Amino acid sequence: MRRSGSVQHARDLGRHDHVCWSYDDTGDFLVRVREYLAEGLALGQRVRYVAVGADVDVLSGVAGIGDALASGAAEIRSLSDTYQSDLAVDPHAQVRAYAKATEEAIADGFTGLRVAAEATPLVRTPAQLASFLRYEHLVDRYMARHPFSALCGYDTTRLDEPAVARLAGVHPCANRPAPFRLHAAAGGAGREVVELGGELDASGHELLGELLERIDPGPGGLVVHAPELTFIDHRGLLLLADSARRRGGDLVLRTRATGAARLVEVLDIPDVRVEPIP
Amino acid sequence: MNPFTHPALFYRTDREYLSALVPFAEEGLDAGQPVAMAVPGARLDLVRSGLGTLARHVTLLDMAVEGRNPGRIIARVLRRFADRHRDRHVRIVGEPIWAGRSEVEYPACAQHEALINLAFDGRDVTILCPYDLSTLSPVAVADALVTHPVVWEGTSSYPSSDYDVPGLLSRYNEPLPEPPADAVFEVSGTGDLGEARKFAAERADGVGRERVADVELIVTELATNSLRHSGGSCRVGVWRADGHLVCDVRDGGRLSDPLAGRRPPEPGQLSGRGLLMVNDLADLVRLHSGPTGTTVRALLRLA
Repeated sequence: MRRSGSVQHARDLGRHDHVCWSYDDTGDFLVRVREYLAEGLALGQRVRYVAVGADVDVLSGVAGIGDALASGAAEIRSLSDTYQSDLAVDPHAQVRAYAKATEEAIADGFTGLRVAAEATPLVRTPAQLASFLRYEHLVDRYMARHPFSALCGYDTTRLDEPAVARLAGVHPCANRPAPFRLHAAAGGAGREVVELGGELDASGHELLGELLERIDPGPGGLVVHAPELTFIDHRGLLLLADSARRRGGDLVLRTRATGAARLVEVLDIPDVRVEPIP
Repeated sequence: MNPFTHPALFYRTDREYLSALVPFAEEGLDAGQPVAMAVPGARLDLVRSGLGTLARHVTLLDMAVEGRNPGRIIARVLRRFADRHRDRHVRIVGEPIWAGRSEVEYPACAQHEALINLAFDGRDVTILCPYDLSTLSPVAVADALVTHPVVWEGTSSYPSSDYDVPGLLSRYNEPLPEPPADAVFEVSGTGDLGEARKFAAERADGVGRERVADVELIVTELATNSLRHSGGSCRVGVWRADGHLVCDVRDGGRLSDPLAGRRPPEPGQLSGRGLLMVNDLADLVRLHSGPTGTTVRALLRLA
């Protein structure tokens, strides 16, 4: 079971969890990195810290870190070694690289891979951000299905608020959650399955449109699993339905929000089904 | 010549009622025209028995339910039926005004009658609107002459010299009194919509738990419309009055389309359904628009 929603620290996270940690105080972020990676070691995962000029001293104080670094249970990577092509990620190549690293960790006897990455330099320009959002979606889908977990750090003193909101919106967990989030969910046969949580109104329409663009096109419609969706307005629902239609199929929205069923009833939209979840 | 006809039927007794409605249905069915009748509750039983075996060929609807909010009758009753049969002349009986309509509801009913003329202009449709002269107020009867170009009474049919749609629309475009000061939440941008929703939901007790979601939708959709169309901020008011929960949203813009919220959506249409939805969800919608701004007020009956 993956965590989703708001987090206040980086403990109690499982093998598939994916957290957005935005911060204006580097010291606090590094506290989160240490607690997150220490827990990973305790869970038998291979852990990795990634940042520009990543410094091993950052991890000092993590129990058993010396031995872990020596044995390969813990790794330090500089950002430029990890992400290729001049600090703009190639989304698919980057997912393949982490998939390979996850498989190697398993082959080496670990229970999975856990990465804490300071990713700010990768999202500084609109073009970088666009490809990184696509990458976050793809890697999130990988994480939902494989033993790979990540804590992604973003420095709010160097990024504007809309960029941070966009980044928070594609992670299942965030310390400062966006009003809504759209991320991967465990798959269903032939259809894209995404998970939607939070509240979706006009403050999120533009972002929803963008995030839906990041999802692979078709075929077979869209299943939106939304156990933690508390509100959706008519345009939000129509955006989801439109995305499903462009994928050549219908929309299934699984939700507890009673308003969603009312919307479908009154809007009279074909190809949309609301499945209440208990 | 405009194929659309919109007569008022003035009647005083059940006998007069049936002696107009039954032939209206009969002639239509004989000519292969689809016929629907939307009349309030008790009248429905009368019509059904009057039609006898013809009843099963006529679409019968309870106007007190379908048209509880007069703002949804054009889209959800009249056009829903007429649009299904665009290849033929369509006959509809629509009785939206009866003695039980309250003073708060009445202006919306009269506006609805006037707007039918705009909504169906040029359409190959007849909409016959019965008025019970034995129970309706003199104002309602006088207004029927303003909203209908022609009147049927007994065996005669005459044009109405009072017919004046713009005049009626402007007369009932009444300013709505300000909300109580402690019932108002200011919305200055889409980032405030979540708080506005919370504000509304906290004041929504009394409408029944299952309708709190309706209140959240209504307030969000109205405030979203205001922000989009007025280009500025809006004020959301939510309070209880006269057996209703009132959701009142005001902005500084002007609503220029008299049929806003009354057209069925086109397939694939991604927006512009907000007001239509509010008409669907609310028991009554009142509207005022003028040079100083627009107010949309949705009312939900308290449970």
